[in-house]
This record gives sequence, structure tokens and C-alpha cells, in this order.
Amino acid sequence: MSRSSKRGLHRRTVLRGLLGGGTVALALPMLEAMLNPNGDHLADGAELPVRFISWFWGNGKKNAKWNPDTAGVDYELKEQLAPLAPVKSYCSVLTNFDNKAGFGRRGHHDGVAGFFSGHPFIALDPNGANYASKFGGPSIDQVIADAIESQSPTYLKSLQLAVSKRVTKGEGPTLEFLSHRGPDQPLQQKFNPQAVYDQLFGNFTPVEDPSAGLRVHMLDAVNEDAKALKKRLGAADRLRLDAHLEGIDQLRKQIAALPPACTQPPAPGQTNSDTDGKEPLTEVARAMSDLVVTAFKCDLTRVVSFQHNGSVGGTVFHMTGTSTNMHSLSHDEPGDQAHVNGAIVECMESFAYLLEELMNAGEGSENLLDQSVVLCGSDCQEGANHSSKDQPAIVAGRGGGALRHPGIHYRSDSQENTSDILLTCLQAFDPQASEVGSAQGLSTTPLAAIKA
Amino acid sequence: MRIIIGMALMAPFALGLGLGCTGTIGDSGGTEALPPGVPPADFAPPPASMRRLLGRQYHNTIEDLLGSAAAEAASAPGDVSLNGFDSIGSAQLSIGLSQVTAYEGSARAIAAAAVADGSQVQALMDCEPPGPADADCHEAFIRRFGRLAFRRSLTDDELSRFVAIAQAAAEAYESFDSGLEYAIATILQSPNFVYRVELGEADPHADNRRVLTGTEMASRLSYFLLDTTPSEALLDLAEAGGLDDAEGVSAAARDMLDEPEARAAIGAFYGELFRLRDIETLVKDAESFPDFTPELAASMRGETLALIEHLAFDQKTSFVDIFDAPYSFVDPTLADFYGVDYPEGETGFVKVTLPDEQDRTGIMSHAAMLALQAHSDGSSPTLRGKFVRESLLCQSIPAPPNDIETALPADSDFKTKKEKLSQHMEDPSCNGCHRVMDPIGFALEGFDGVGRFRTEENGVTIDTTADGADLGMLDGPSGLGAALAEHPNTVHCIVRNFFRHAVAHVEIEGEEAALEKIDEVFETSGYQLKEMIVALVSNEAFRYVGVER
Repeated sequence: MSRSSKRGLHRRTVLRGLLGGGTVALALPMLEAMLNPNGDHLADGAELPVRFISWFWGNGKKNAKWNPDTAGVDYELKEQLAPLAPVKSYCSVLTNFDNKAGFGRRGHHDGVAGFFSGHPFIALDPNGANYASKFGGPSIDQVIADAIESQSPTYLKSLQLAVSKRVTKGEGPTLEFLSHRGPDQPLQQKFNPQAVYDQLFGNFTPVEDPSAGLRVHMLDAVNEDAKALKKRLGAADRLRLDAHLEGIDQLRKQIAALPPACTQPPAPGQTNSDTDGKEPLTEVARAMSDLVVTAFKCDLTRVVSFQHNGSVGGTVFHMTGTSTNMHSLSHDEPGDQAHVNGAIVECMESFAYLLEELMNAGEGSENLLDQSVVLCGSDCQEGANHSSKDQPAIVAGRGGGALRHPGIHYRSDSQENTSDILLTCLQAFDPQASEVGSAQGLSTTPLAAIKA
Repeated sequence: MRIIIGMALMAPFALGLGLGCTGTIGDSGGTEALPPGVPPADFAPPPASMRRLLGRQYHNTIEDLLGSAAAEAASAPGDVSLNGFDSIGSAQLSIGLSQVTAYEGSARAIAAAAVADGSQVQALMDCEPPGPADADCHEAFIRRFGRLAFRRSLTDDELSRFVAIAQAAAEAYESFDSGLEYAIATILQSPNFVYRVELGEADPHADNRRVLTGTEMASRLSYFLLDTTPSEALLDLAEAGGLDDAEGVSAAARDMLDEPEARAAIGAFYGELFRLRDIETLVKDAESFPDFTPELAASMRGETLALIEHLAFDQKTSFVDIFDAPYSFVDPTLADFYGVDYPEGETGFVKVTLPDEQDRTGIMSHAAMLALQAHSDGSSPTLRGKFVRESLLCQSIPAPPNDIETALPADSDFKTKKEKLSQHMEDPSCNGCHRVMDPIGFALEGFDGVGRFRTEENGVTIDTTADGADLGMLDGPSGLGAALAEHPNTVHCIVRNFFRHAVAHVEIEGEEAALEKIDEVFETSGYQLKEMIVALVSNEAFRYVGVER
């Protein structure tokens, strides 16, 4: 990539907005202007930013077509992992771990909550009503978002994306959402790439517009209202109002922020609308992946959660020649389940597309995949058995040098805790972090095999 | 496996305990006789939580406060259900940046539309501003609008905060109306508007519970019965003490149930409980069901809501007929789908008798329910049975087992869903639950994945008989309808579902005795829904909240 422009801008000067009102976007990635001459650090000597993505698809893998037979760097990519060939050196495939936070209480709920948070999920006593559950603690992307924010806050603390709209909504936030600030705050994902684009670029107000100041003034008044109300509330509601206040504070900062000094790409022109009842899964996954790359390039956020198709869910992978949803197929398709297999391959093709786009996006002397940690997982081992043992797990990216490269296949011979994987990811952002998860899911031991 | 039946069968109370008689005497020795209207000492509700307005309530509220142009500009962030109820999610879950952003954008769009439209804003103005930044006139508007929006009078601090915004905006834009616009936009972002805060005040008779204040009661009543904010008249009545006892609440509720919004609110409740609101976005495989269109889906939903509205409002009849009514309501589109003649000279939904051979009986043979509880490319006896167990019988279904291979052998060849599921039911770790779900669906297998009548599946004649466990031997839709109408859980479950929605939690033990009083009124009224609802809102379990320990 070109290094013609090394103007050595300090990152803070950009954030403070000394770019002449900030309404003109520069035709280069923001960070390039702020790199040192070698392009491997920021001009002030600070490390290049590292990003995190949690990437999810529902209903698991098929062991025979996923699990590599051999360990180490030269592992073979079987049918379901074959799409990863162009980015294989960036991928570590982890097998035979045990999601210890998911210990057989309820299929899918165990799998997604335990794998992505390390906390056993919280079952809501139905007492004759519908079953529902919540995450037992924050999902790993939010733990990492907190760690990043404490060091260098971004415009958006994190971004939640989803592709398939056929998400299971009847069993509580565990199956409906991938990101959770805590048990009572699932983060709503966006399904429409155009809406994501608006979220990234649509909130910037020209400085001469008086509405910006008045909007901040309004939020301050709302903030005062909330604080007065808080005094009257019980403990649980005070926490809920704190979350609301945090949202107000974040919006307030966004209104005061200047547009990012990077190339604003054209609008995606993809709205995730169905044709003849078929979801444009491939097209939306690509549009969302492109937006992730844009958001990282412009440094608008450093944390993304990406729900390809929800846990259980009603997603029909029509491109495999079926009209039945993947979850039903996982229980009902006889034999070796060709359509379930096709769905998983489609998921991995979309995952590989994201990794390739990150790899192709240069940042100084590195690329965005060098500067990312990408955790890919599902909600069970195989859809047909609901097991939380040997769930699929991939850790991709070099994590700014924190992760082993080239990647390996590591098969645990002792069914290590999947939370060990989470702790390894977290330590790429917070080397002092000493634990992840709780109860059965607690880990204090990062996975040495994939550390650099 | 055991089925968790969410009830003890209705404990019959001594008949003769009349309507509105809430002064139950404590049953154990040594308990003092309580004054009339005071709940027994063992009544112990859970603490209240603030409740975020549901999307539909937000929209209706804006329409009532600021008119239809403003309502068109409104876009509330989505609801998240817990235990099957949006209201429970609204009382437990927190919101963050995404929803705060949505509320801000919506509030600004509403305020701009309301001021541009002007009619409703003018109706709330009692003064003529002498200049763009007239503080007195801003204050007068904010005082009145703020009371309606917060469902209580503003505090002095709140008033001065909002007036300051109005003044700043009026000066920035040199426009009195801009002041109004920004004041409205601020008030609509306040947690006092976004959440219903119903904390109650001390109950002199017990320290483990609090009684809702008049304006809190007005709010709870109005959002439950009408899905919208209390009217100015209801707030006036509440502040004058008109809702301080069960009789006052009953009288107000009876008036409110005569409003057209009550029909819409009960329709919206059933739209949520029965998922009817999802049907227009329901996706069916175009090859399996080429004629399933959003228009047909809307007609299907209309049928079920028409029957519910008919039984709830149009006559003093038993609401239990929803399970076994041998008639239904069709519009021309649905008449065509069902293969019945639509009466000439009529419009909209008309009561008809459906063809004998289809045996359609009660809501479970309505096309909407059958299409919703099905796969995209076919029927699902399991989903239909699960829905009946959970939503009509209030019986929770335990978790399916982990680590059990459920996939079928490669040489499987099943002509019918029943054959296929019977294979699953061979497995002892699965059949405990499937045995109570699937047979209900087998009785409905004469209807395909969109609720169309059929007699065969893949050339095999469909058998609609099945062993329904506690529902007895089932024989087709009319057999299922009769079994549901007779099952003691169904009426109990109607009361529990309304209650969960109304108070935003699943009932707890300390409320059970109070709820049984509602069951009893429902029964003695011959299961008239309005009588049950009046009993519910005047019951202590609706009028009191617990205290956080």
C-alpha cells in the first residue's frame, strides 16, 4: 500500500477536530496519516489498534467433514473448512474442547451462552409460561470492548451485525442475540446493511448547525431527569437506568464528534429484503463484511459481533437446494445430511470472505487481519446432538502479534475449557486479564498453544 | 419425564362470594378480621419494576398526545419478549446506545411533525405568545403537555429544565414554535416518559407491599385496557381519588372497556400471545405454498381476531367458545381459501359455518394458527402441540436432551409426518415430551403447512386420531376443540396469560390466592371475558406492588 502521505498527524488532534470543521473527508484511510515512517506504529510510537470480531452461526458442524485428522501447522482442510484455504495461515482450528459453562441443561442455550461468555446461562423459571433464558454474564466481545474503551475509546464502542432475519425470538435473549452487556442487556443487532451504514456515517452534524448543541442540551436534561428518578428506584431498576445513562452519554459524545477522516464509501445498496421468500444470505453477509472492513479502516469501532444465522432459528439455506430450515434438517434429514453440510459450507464461505477482505485491507506495513482477533463458533457440536462438547471453534488473525502465526490445528487431549480460548482472546487486548467466565465456565488458564 | 403442570386445578371457592367482594377473611386462627378492601396478610406480590412502553403503546401514546401526523413520524425501538411476553421483557431488560439513539431520533421527528401539523399542539396551548421566547407561555404548554406525557404532574425541577431548553431553542431559531418543538423532543426522551414508573406508596396495613397511587393506577389501567396513555380526564379522576378503591377501579374499567381502543388492545394482546402479528411476515416456501401471500395471511389473522372480538365484546357469551366454536368469520379472500360461499351484499368478516368435512372447530383449526405453528414447507405436529401446551394450557415443556443423536437413519422413508415423528417417539429420552406435544398436532394433520384442508399426505390417508394424554383420546379438530374446552387448565390459563401481560411478571406463590378470586369470577360469570378483566384490574394483585428487600 502507498506510503506517500506520512504527515505524522497525532491521533488526538484528529479526534479534537482540527481539520477545518471536519466536514471534508480525506481520501485516504485515517490511520495512514498518523503512522510512523515504518508504518508499524502510530506516529507517537503507540501500537496500531487491534480489533475483535465474534462470528457466529447456529446449529453446529458435522464432525466428519470438519475436524482435521492431524494436528499442527499442516492440518488439512476438510469439506466444511475448505473455504478457508486462502486465509489458512491466519486460522487456528481448535477441536475437542469442552464448553464447561454449558453442562447439559438446555441444548443451544448451553452452547451459545457458554461458548461466547464463559458464564452458565440464567434460566427464567417459566412457572407454566414459555421457557426463556438470559446470558449469565457479558459476552466476550463486550468484555473486550470495555478493555478497549478504557485505553482508547472509539466512536462506537461496538457494532452488532446479523445476516439471517429468521432468529428464534420465543426463548429469551440467549438465542436471539449474540452480544450481551450482562444478563439483562442484550445488544440488538442490525440486519440491514444500509442501516449499519447510516449508523456509521449518518450521525455527523455540520458544526454550524445549531441543532447539534441543542441535542446535547436535551440529552443533558434527560440525564438530569434520569438521575432524579434513580433515587426513587430499587437496586435492579437503578442498574437498568445506569445502562440507559451510559447510552445517553455515548450518544452525546457521538453528536459532538467530527466525521472520520477517511474515505466514506458509497452506500451499500443492500437492504436485506427477501425475494420470493428467500433471504439474500450470501449478498448480505458480503455487504456486512465490507462494512466491517470500512468501520475498521476508519477506526469507527474496534469490536464487532457478527451473527450469521441465529441459534436454532428458521434460516433456510435455499442455495443448497432445500426449502427446509437448517435446524429442522439437523434433526430430520436422514443419513449424512447433505443439506446440513451445504449450509455449514455456505457459512464458512461467508466467514472466509470476511477474513479475506480483512487480509486484503492494508494498514501501514500490516493488514487488518494481522491487527484482528476473530473468534468463530456456534451453539453446539452437531445440530443433531445438541452437545456442548467439541463445539466448532476457530481463532483467526494475528491479534497485533499476540496470536500464533501461521495457525495450527490443536486437538485438546484433555477436553480443555472453551473459556480458555476466550481468555486468550481477551489477553490480546488486556495482557493483565487473569480470568474469564464464572462457575463451571471459569477460566484462569489461557490456551498457550495459540499464543505467539 | 414429568410434565410440569403450571397449576393446581382450580380450587373451587364457596359459591356466593359475590363480584367485587375483596374482603377475604384470613383463614388461620388468630388472624384478625380485616377492614373491607384490605388484602389478606399472606398476599405478597413481587417488587415492581419500571416498564418500558411497548412499541404499540409508544405509538398509540404519541397519537393520543400529538395527533396522527406525529404518530406517523414515531419509530420506537423493538420489544424483546421474556417467557413469551413483551411486557415481561419490558420490565426486566435494559436498553443502551442503540435504543437511546432510536428514542432520540423518534422524539425529534415526532416533535417536528407535531409542531408542523400544529393542531394538537394548539389544543394544548392556553396562551398566545407575545414574542418568540416568551417563557411564561412556554411554561404553560410544558406544564400541561408534560403532565400528560409523564402521566403525573411535573416537578418544579423538571419544569425549569424543559423551559430552559425551550428558551434556548426559541432563541437559536428565533421562533416560539422551535421552543415547543425542542421541549416536546426532550420530554419524549425522558425516562419518565419512556418508562412507566409504578412504585406505589406505603400500605398502612402491611409493610411487605405498597399500593399504587392514583395516577400510577390510571397509567396501569389505561395501558392494560387501551394500550395507551391515560386521558386527561382519567388523570383528573385519579388525582381526585377516584381510583383509590376497587369499586372506583371497576367502574372506570367498565367505561374503558366500552372504548374502541379496548377492542384494539385485546386484539393486540392476542396478536402477541398467539403470534398473529407475525403472520404477514411469515415466510412459506414458494414451491410448497405458492398461493400464500401477505394478503391471504392478513385475512387469516383477521379471522382469529374477529372470533376473539366477537366472543369478548359482542355478546354475553362464554369466552371458552374460542376452543370449540363450530363457526367462524371469513372475508372474501379467506372464504375462497376455505372453499365456502361468501354471503352476497356483505363486507369484511362475516360469521359463517364451515364445510362439515373439514371439521374446523375453534381457533386451533383456524388457518392463521395452523400456518404459524408449522414449518416453511409443511405442517409440524410438534410445533402445534407445543403451542397448545404452553400458550393454551400454561404447561411448560422441559428441555430436549443433550448428547442424544436425533438424526434419522439414511434409509428412512416416511410418507407422513405422523410416521416420521412416531419414529422419534421410539426413543425413550425424547418420547416423554413428544408424547404430550405431537398427538395434539396429529389431530390437526388434516391441515397442511398453511392451514389448507387435506385428506392425504403423499398418497396416504391421514389419520387424525391420537392419544392426547391428559386431553384424552383425540379425534380430529372437533375432538381436540372439545377436549380443550373441557380441560380445567384452559380457563385458568386465560386468566394467567392476561395477568402476566398486565403486571409484567409470571405470577408467584404470594399472588396465587388473589388470582383464584379472578378465576372464580370468571367461572361464575359464565366465562365472560369482560367480567374476568374487571375482576383482574380491581384485584389486589393488580393494584399493589411488593417492596424490594
